[in-house]
Amino acid sequence: MKFTINWLKEYVDTGDMSPESLAEQLTMLGLEVDSVTPVFPELAKLKTAKVLSVEAHPNADKLHLCEVAVGEETFSIVCGAPNVRKDLVTAIALVGTVMPDGTKIKASKVRGVKSFGMLCSERELGLSESHTGIMELPDETEHGQQLLVAIGMDDLLVDVDLTPNRPDCASVIGIAREVAGITRTPLTIPVESATLDHSSRDFSVDIEDSEVCPRYSARLIRNITIKQSPWWIRKKLLSIGMRPINNVVDITNLVMMEYGQPLHAFDYDKIAGKQIIVRHPKNNENTFTTLDGVKRTIEPDMLMICDAEKPIAVAGVMGGLNSEVSDNTTNILLESACFGAVSVRRTARRLKLPSEASYRFERGVDPGGCITVMERAVSLLCDIAGGEAMEGGVDSYQGIRPLNSQTIRISRTSSLLGIKLDYDKIADVLQSIGIRCKPKDDDTIWVNPPSFRIDIEREADLVEEVARLIGYDNIPTSLPTVSLSYPEQTPVRTLRKQISNLLVDIGFSEAINYSFVTEKHMSMMLLNEDDPRRKHVELLNPLSEEQSVMRTMLLPGLLENLKRNINFQKTSVKLFEIGKVFTPQGENEQPIEKERLTCILSGKRSGEASSLYNSDNTVDIFDAKGVSELLLETLRLYGCSTNDVISFRTPEENEQENYSDPVQCLILDSDKGILGQLSRLTPEVAKQFGLKQDVFFIDLDFEILCSLKATAKKFQQLPVFPAVKRDIALLVPTGIKAGDMLESIRTSKEKFIEHCEIFDVYQGKPLDHGMKSVAVSVTYRSPTKTLTEKNVNKSHTKIINLLTSKFNGSLREG
Amino acid sequence: MEQELVNLRTKAGQQLATVEDISQLEDFRIQFLGRKGQCSTIMKSLGKVPIEDKPRLGQMANSVKKEIESLYDEKRQLLLSNTASSSSQNDSIDLTLPGRKPETGKLHPVTQIMNEVCAIFESLGFSVAEGPDVEHDHYNFEALNIPAHHPARDMHDTFYVSDSILLRTHTSPMQARIMETRQPPLRVIAPGKVYRCDSDITHNPMFHQVEGFLVDRDVSFADLKGVLTVFTQKMFDKELELRFRPSFFPFTEPSAEVDIACVICEGKGCRVCKHTGWLEILGSGMIDPEVFKMVGYDPEVYSGFAFGLGIERIAMLKYGIDDIRLYYENDLRFLSQF
Repeated sequence: MKFTINWLKEYVDTGDMSPESLAEQLTMLGLEVDSVTPVFPELAKLKTAKVLSVEAHPNADKLHLCEVAVGEETFSIVCGAPNVRKDLVTAIALVGTVMPDGTKIKASKVRGVKSFGMLCSERELGLSESHTGIMELPDETEHGQQLLVAIGMDDLLVDVDLTPNRPDCASVIGIAREVAGITRTPLTIPVESATLDHSSRDFSVDIEDSEVCPRYSARLIRNITIKQSPWWIRKKLLSIGMRPINNVVDITNLVMMEYGQPLHAFDYDKIAGKQIIVRHPKNNENTFTTLDGVKRTIEPDMLMICDAEKPIAVAGVMGGLNSEVSDNTTNILLESACFGAVSVRRTARRLKLPSEASYRFERGVDPGGCITVMERAVSLLCDIAGGEAMEGGVDSYQGIRPLNSQTIRISRTSSLLGIKLDYDKIADVLQSIGIRCKPKDDDTIWVNPPSFRIDIEREADLVEEVARLIGYDNIPTSLPTVSLSYPEQTPVRTLRKQISNLLVDIGFSEAINYSFVTEKHMSMMLLNEDDPRRKHVELLNPLSEEQSVMRTMLLPGLLENLKRNINFQKTSVKLFEIGKVFTPQGENEQPIEKERLTCILSGKRSGEASSLYNSDNTVDIFDAKGVSELLLETLRLYGCSTNDVISFRTPEENEQENYSDPVQCLILDSDKGILGQLSRLTPEVAKQFGLKQDVFFIDLDFEILCSLKATAKKFQQLPVFPAVKRDIALLVPTGIKAGDMLESIRTSKEKFIEHCEIFDVYQGKPLDHGMKSVAVSVTYRSPTKTLTEKNVNKSHTKIINLLTSKFNGSLREG
Repeated sequence: MEQELVNLRTKAGQQLATVEDISQLEDFRIQFLGRKGQCSTIMKSLGKVPIEDKPRLGQMANSVKKEIESLYDEKRQLLLSNTASSSSQNDSIDLTLPGRKPETGKLHPVTQIMNEVCAIFESLGFSVAEGPDVEHDHYNFEALNIPAHHPARDMHDTFYVSDSILLRTHTSPMQARIMETRQPPLRVIAPGKVYRCDSDITHNPMFHQVEGFLVDRDVSFADLKGVLTVFTQKMFDKELELRFRPSFFPFTEPSAEVDIACVICEGKGCRVCKHTGWLEILGSGMIDPEVFKMVGYDPEVYSGFAFGLGIERIAMLKYGIDDIRLYYENDLRFLSQF
């Protein structure tokens, strides 16, 4: 809602309140002032000038050489306007002025004669369409002053961000009422109330659906002369950014801005049968051309204003081209009506046609005000457009509302707001904005809000009024007294924090990607056509194809992040994301939302750290495996007991993802199903994302991860007796898995084995082709004694024999 | 035997004189003082001397051993102090080189702020609940007193999945979801992602919010002011000036927006605060009786307040992030700054 300070002052005396203070006070009343700016700032540098002399241009028939006075100074100006004449006072843009269209005025030579500025037409100034000549100001206008001052536009424009509950403030008078509540001064309103005899013989009105049209009033005004509005009307409309059209249209707009009641003027002579019918379209009425010249599709539930034959306006939204007021119009039918908020809103939305009228109707217009507002417009039409208002009119008021009568309890208001209040205080603030109060009993007050406050329907609404008028700043600050309770932590949240912190500690940064992605990701990941992850939750109204479906995987987003980082020269990237993926269910059902944890690793192992101490080795599958192991160990799901919840294994053929390298892939099994996998991304998929370097990823089902039971922490006695460590270097065929060797040592049930691990694997010269050396270290310990050579040898020999026979190996010499 | 002891003493002295560093000293210790060293050997051979010589020779052997031990200690001290002083003079160690720093990553700034916000409310006894991103129209709107075709829906540019399913436009649906299943007293916050279908220089179509509410008997607007004042001052680490300004939300009445004195210009007026000196940081209000009625609470018995705040906005104010496009690009140059 826009208004100017001068306009506001026509209705309320703001005393010595500065515009800044006014803005501040309105904001603190809930009418948030977005900005206070000068009106037409682009015209601030223009001046008034008086033409002193006019001579013909020596080299051009249509140009004139003028001497103009701008205050003390005179300038030579070349001007082509036909109306330039001695003593004319007009607008001048001097050298250096930037015009509304952005052109900068420079000193120039026009056909060989120097010109030091430009005399301007109203169109050049953005003040009207008139371009027949330069602007003509009254003769007595002082030259050399600011143009905006001379034309009465040195005003401030206030823009209020109205909340939907205050349609009454979508009008300058509405704002003035709030200001009057602050200043406690009376309002001056052009027409305070009026009545209309329901007695027209010139036309009739029928309302077919009064649910969506509680009131329809209209009057006939004859012998109108259509012309440009006087400056004071145009000035007001221009100041708030509305384009003046002609006197009739301008008056309806001006009065709408004053009172908040939309009005519409029909050309009476274009109304067939002199009949107004408020109805829904008939079957054959499928299109309608609105007065902006656009042919629109209309639907059966839209409300139309029709004459005897056809629709002539979309009710509450926009008039029709077929009944528009034109330059030849002499008789007009002025409509002041009230239409249902939901109906107007739905229609305006579907037609994609928001208008000043629909803005007000969909928030709610007071049907009680129709006649008063019409009277204001009628008097202006008579005064300004020379019209003759016919006696009486039509006022069909079927949606008449009873007097709004409510109660508010003093005790309830006090306890809800946390401030001690009494009758006097509450009545005082409510009455300041016209809400009448009288005591009902010791604790209850009868109140009658004015009819334009259609938002006040309940006690809660009144409590809000009291709070806002007292001022939120005047309500004390306290802390609630509550009973003590322990805020339970959800395990998912705790785990999410724990895992995130761990990953961050070991060099991963957290990514957050959009939940909506492009469907193309699934093809880029080379998913099979029947892969369930290709079934997406689709948005009906996405902003773009790139953000049109809810994601089913986190990996593609992270790969795009990797690509972006590489583009900006960060080639060593470790990222993780914990986020939801979405699996669609039935059409009107919520999808299944599951969290996943996905990590990617690419580039140097040491990341962006200096190579001073670090090698330039790049990450490999064992980095991915190591991160997984560390993560699971920290969560006490792996490596903490003999029966781990998690095991690593290679994928079965049917588990093989098209984006995972079949040779470098491990499935993480759990007792609650497959937890996820870690793998190298296949180069084909990497290429789809524009990635040339190796990428490794870990992709886990976060919900399964959270559901697994951690091994409890339990103290083990520290060993008392020393351990004996023995190493074995075995030559085995390259196909033998080191893990299998360790597993067979662990399961050998040989006495005293405490621990075994691989400490070296070697392949290459001087070993034979097809063979590798695996070095295993076995730790022996007894809980009851110091082991002797003999004890250990006996077990160790058995282990050597077991390994050599089971894995077709031999002890490596030396 | 006597001679052997004298020789041992001499030999030890001579050998010690040739020792130049700690590792040679260790060899010396093993040779003379170790378990199988020469002192031990000679001690063991004491068993074979005639009984009458034993006290004298034993005493002598002990004093030789003690002497060698003290010579060893002396030498050790000397060598250690030499090492220290020599290394301090040695310019082969350049301490201006950087330390060997383990590489770590960073939590996303949104997560960092989210954790901070939640921690403040958790300290005040609020529990944390999370809900679905893809929500029923009912919870997102209807249960919050926003019926179809209410102009307040204009405040929410909504992504729809079907007629009745949408991407939540705020975390407020959690109010209804939790109140539906639990009884007061309630103190809950609900963090999460929310979605609005507008995208421009100041709006991302996805962002993060934290919803919070407190329901009990006799909760007042003054309590709302108190709790949110505590939160704001903890969040911004100082005694910030703040103001509560009337506003409108269909699910609270009275409603208030909370502004803080602009942290960038300290209230003087700048581009970020649109020259008002104030920055809006959260929306709040007393829970509307209609919302209570819909979940079956008696508004005459219970009252409460609710609030919602945008995480990215707080991150912008706290960290000065002025380009919202950076949030979800996951550029390490951005992430590593926080």
